[in-house]
Amino acid sequence: MFPLATPSIPDVVQSIPLQNYVLLATTLFIIGIVGVLTRRNALIIFMSIELMLNAVNLLLIAFSTYKSDPVGQVFVFFIMAVAAAEVAVGLAIIVMIYRNTRTIDIGFLNKLKW
Amino acid sequence: MLPIVLLSILGLVVLFLGFQKSKNLLLPATLLVLAIVLVANFLHWNDMPSLYFKNMLFENKFTMAFSGIVIFSAFLIVALTRGFVDDESAQPAEYYTLMLFSLVGAVMMIGFENLIMLFVGIEILSVSMFILTGSDKKNLRSNEAALKYFLMGAFATGIMLFGMALLYGATGSFNLTAIKGYVMANNAPSAMLYVGLLMLLIGMLFKVSAAPFHFWTPDVYDGAPTIFTTYMSTIVKTAGFAAIYRLLSGSFSGIYSFWWMTLAVITVLTLLAGNITAVYQTSFKRMMAYSSISHAGYLLLSLTALTNQSQSAIVFYSLAYSIATISAFGVLMLVAKETGVHSYENAERFEAFNGLGKKNPLLAFVLTVSMLSLAGIPLTAGFWGKFFVFSSAADRGLTWMLVIAILMSTVGIYYYFKAIIAAYMREGELSAIKVSPFYRLILIATTIITLVFGLMPDFLKGLV
Amino acid sequence: MNSSLLFLIPLLPLIGFIINGIGFRHVPKSLAGVIGSAASLGAFAISILAWNAFEGQPQVVKLFDWISIGQLTIPFAFQIDQLSLLMLMVVTGVGSLIHIYSMGYMHHDEGFGKFFAFLNLFLFFMLLLVMGSNYVIMFIGWEGVGLCSYLLIGFWNKVTNYNNAARKAFIMNRIGDLGFLLGIFMIIQTFGSVEYLEVFAKAANGSFSINDTVIVTITALLFVGAMGKSAQIPLYTWLPDAMAGPTPVSALIHAATMVTAGIYMVIRSNVLYSLAPATLGVVGGIGLLTAVVAASIGLYQNDIKKVLAYSTVSQLGYMFLALGVGAYTSAMFHVMTHAFFKALLFLGAGSVIHAMSDEQDIRNMGGLRKHLPVTFWTFFVATLAISGIFPLSGFFSKDEILAHVFEHNQIMWGIGLFTSMMTAFYMFRLLFVTFFGEFRGTHDQKHHLHESPATMTIPLIILAVLSAAGGLLNIPHVLGGGESLAHFMAPLFELSKQVNPDLFEGHLEHSTEYILMGVSVGAAVLSILFAYNLFMGKKVVPAADKDVTGFPKVLQNKYYVDEFYEAVFVNPMRKLSDLLYSFGEFLIDLVVNGTGRLVQFLSGRLRLLQTGETGFYVFAMVLGILVILAWNLLLK
Repeated sequence: MFPLATPSIPDVVQSIPLQNYVLLATTLFIIGIVGVLTRRNALIIFMSIELMLNAVNLLLIAFSTYKSDPVGQVFVFFIMAVAAAEVAVGLAIIVMIYRNTRTIDIGFLNKLKW
Repeated sequence: MLPIVLLSILGLVVLFLGFQKSKNLLLPATLLVLAIVLVANFLHWNDMPSLYFKNMLFENKFTMAFSGIVIFSAFLIVALTRGFVDDESAQPAEYYTLMLFSLVGAVMMIGFENLIMLFVGIEILSVSMFILTGSDKKNLRSNEAALKYFLMGAFATGIMLFGMALLYGATGSFNLTAIKGYVMANNAPSAMLYVGLLMLLIGMLFKVSAAPFHFWTPDVYDGAPTIFTTYMSTIVKTAGFAAIYRLLSGSFSGIYSFWWMTLAVITVLTLLAGNITAVYQTSFKRMMAYSSISHAGYLLLSLTALTNQSQSAIVFYSLAYSIATISAFGVLMLVAKETGVHSYENAERFEAFNGLGKKNPLLAFVLTVSMLSLAGIPLTAGFWGKFFVFSSAADRGLTWMLVIAILMSTVGIYYYFKAIIAAYMREGELSAIKVSPFYRLILIATTIITLVFGLMPDFLKGLV
Repeated sequence: MNSSLLFLIPLLPLIGFIINGIGFRHVPKSLAGVIGSAASLGAFAISILAWNAFEGQPQVVKLFDWISIGQLTIPFAFQIDQLSLLMLMVVTGVGSLIHIYSMGYMHHDEGFGKFFAFLNLFLFFMLLLVMGSNYVIMFIGWEGVGLCSYLLIGFWNKVTNYNNAARKAFIMNRIGDLGFLLGIFMIIQTFGSVEYLEVFAKAANGSFSINDTVIVTITALLFVGAMGKSAQIPLYTWLPDAMAGPTPVSALIHAATMVTAGIYMVIRSNVLYSLAPATLGVVGGIGLLTAVVAASIGLYQNDIKKVLAYSTVSQLGYMFLALGVGAYTSAMFHVMTHAFFKALLFLGAGSVIHAMSDEQDIRNMGGLRKHLPVTFWTFFVATLAISGIFPLSGFFSKDEILAHVFEHNQIMWGIGLFTSMMTAFYMFRLLFVTFFGEFRGTHDQKHHLHESPATMTIPLIILAVLSAAGGLLNIPHVLGGGESLAHFMAPLFELSKQVNPDLFEGHLEHSTEYILMGVSVGAAVLSILFAYNLFMGKKVVPAADKDVTGFPKVLQNKYYVDEFYEAVFVNPMRKLSDLLYSFGEFLIDLVVNGTGRLVQFLSGRLRLLQTGETGFYVFAMVLGILVILAWNLLLK
């Protein structure tokens, strides 16, 4: 639909190899996972999840640039939009719980089990 | 793709109807919307398979059948929601709108051609479900369920997205056909592709509650208001399986040998975890949660086999399972309301059904048929569902999985019969429950559908 | 005959079920029984029409294409051939008699309408089972009759003991069904069809050698199904427990029809079984073992229905023994005669129980001959028949089986003969203790003793005639008969003969046959005399459970021969009986209930994994991801 410019990767981008981006994103992603695993505060867990999503964004942008394909970057917009919606709902749920129990420590939320 | 457009617009209309003082219009309006969408969905039944919205969505008989199941299930569930309107704190307009919007997500998951649409669809569906799970705001159980569902759901989304990003990195596209082209062209795909596929699969398997990613299911299903439990266990699951099927058959059938063993192990774990844990449950609602895990196992069996029978097998199975689940929960909601007056504790346990057969023969019959169907007893739709799934597995030669699946279905019969035994063989002080004519009509309809498909399961012919 | 009439055969009972089942509170009692019986009689009448119209070739009547997935098409069709016609006659004929009998027997029951609804539903599924033209319809009937049996076992015992008996029946049948279902899937995989005619044609086209692994597996799996349904070792203990149901149910389901489904299935699949002599060996072995074990347990039972139940298990074992040596016709012959005399025995027992105000312990009976003359005489006929006394039906069918076994293996024949001696003994013990001697019940019971109403005695008389004359169906050449049943059924086994002619070879000299007959009748008479001596001559009453040690004391009499018996026959037999009893009831129950317990135990443990902690859930998920990734990337 849009006449695309001939694919050429800017030199600035190329000065850092793709695998470094991949490594960085993976590291961020794993930090996010570890955060989810070790923290008990619902808010911080939520922040860790956001970190995971941003790692994905970074990865997508890197791939997108190296492939000169805009679709990856479009996807990033989608992720950001959806993440914003998720934040709204997630915070609402956390606030609701805080109102009812005065805590957002997930360790106390274990009435439903077995 | 008319359903997506109609659901979005008419969903907004329903939301605005909520500004009116009288809430009585909401239910009929929502049902009307769903009926229109259901008709619109099948308008193009005889057309050739085609792509829509710049190759983002795909439509053929399979996706239409699945959308039809999802919309029809939503219709039945909405029809069972009469309780909302009486409750002071409830927000019926919002609930109905969220249900309609979530269907948009479900339809997108079923018909996705591009991974972006898969992601957006899953998120639309999930975010709506987070809200609906926590809709009983004063109830701590509902709160807890919502938070658990939300945290784990978001986490699984992260995993899934990472998988998609890696797939993109490996293949350079989000398009199913393009990915398939890449997979076919490269004899030895990179590790990035493999990791991407596995993580994407794991994210989706989480949504359909496959072991070991199923832990959220019992808690969330147990804590959520029963009507939304019904919604989750039917619509989310059906859409999830349709999506996994589209993904695997659309792009990755070429590297079957790579992923089948992983999926096979997950299937077996799911079957074992769901069926065996269900045996011990004293709460009917929680048992149904575990049973939904076990049904995910049977559906996964068919996906693992991925023969040309699988498609119609999972369509049929999802339909049979959804209908039976809806009628079982329909009976539970009535009974729990009645017994809940005496003791909150017992409201959702098996004991709640004690003496049902004497005082409410119709409800007992509906419950029995749905249990028989879930258990897979012949002459109900559930039997044929299992039969098709098993025969697709036999076709692929997965005998060892077949043995486990049949053994586990035996275990299944044990816990489903607990409800039937409670209804007919035990004495209870349950009094006659007043059922509104409309509610009764829906329950009778689900029962008849189950029996008719049990007698004549051949409506699938057009699909294959 | 118009072939669409055939569909009325199962449809009539289904209609009966719907009328009685949906309106069971509204249909008046007098009408409910009539509707139920009329449905059954109607099916019987059409079966007779079908019999008359039958022309010798298997006829498949298709109603519609039921399912087609991929290459597999399963029509909803009925197959009318020699085998299904015979089964039809037995099921609808005996079924009708039992329906009529139930009108009298269940007269005082509050669930009268419900009972007839269930009976009709059972009949419907049983007819599907025998008429279906493919394995899937057979399986649907198979499951359906199991479900009805489950419902009817629990018909009375709403509270006590029900769970255990029903659960046992349930688990054992399910283990069987598992095998059956797997067998069907293997058939689909191997032959690409489930239609009998197609499957057998493909099996016999020469591509499978004898004892081909696939065929052996299929037949073995199918036989596991038969073991569950037809109560063979080790899945037999549910049948005696199933006697908790009303007596007509025991007669119909647990004696005459449902339990013979396994035999029907093997005969139906005779081509496959003939291709797999290895499986047939197992079938015969298990049949023989079941026959002897169950018969020896029957020796010392005191509950009138339990004796008959063990006797049923033993006779079923006999039939499998016949199948095991390839004597398909003899097995079918025995199915039919057994249906007559065992239904009669159960109905007679029902009549006795009815008269005795629900007393089932034979030690509290005695002398009933005078009060229940019709019941006594018919019961006597049946007892003679099951003992194999010439010229009653049991003699012919049993003798035929024994003759075939003799051709096959003399040791097995010996054990079979021994079993039939035990059968004669415990049946006559039952007869003598129940109907002769002094009445040992309470005064009230004595006062209440009465012959049953005509609705109950007429079926008894009809069945007595059948039990007496049923042997005429297949009189062997040696006795100047035409073996008409064998001729009638011969076309069923042509393919079998073609694929495995060895199985059908072997002829006995006429003189040998005479000797065998003489020996078996002699043996039966001998044990009858022994029973007579014990229970009539010395008026021995089986001791109360706590006084069993006193039993030898009663026996201690002036005859030296008694002590001889005591040492050589009675004591070891009782030991064996006790041993086998404990083997059956405890070991097997241990395994079966143990499986159930194990699942429950696992369930209790597994559910603890569901800690309720979100942290743990996420941890499990991450662990799962790591394992999957590591396994796929590092280990492959």
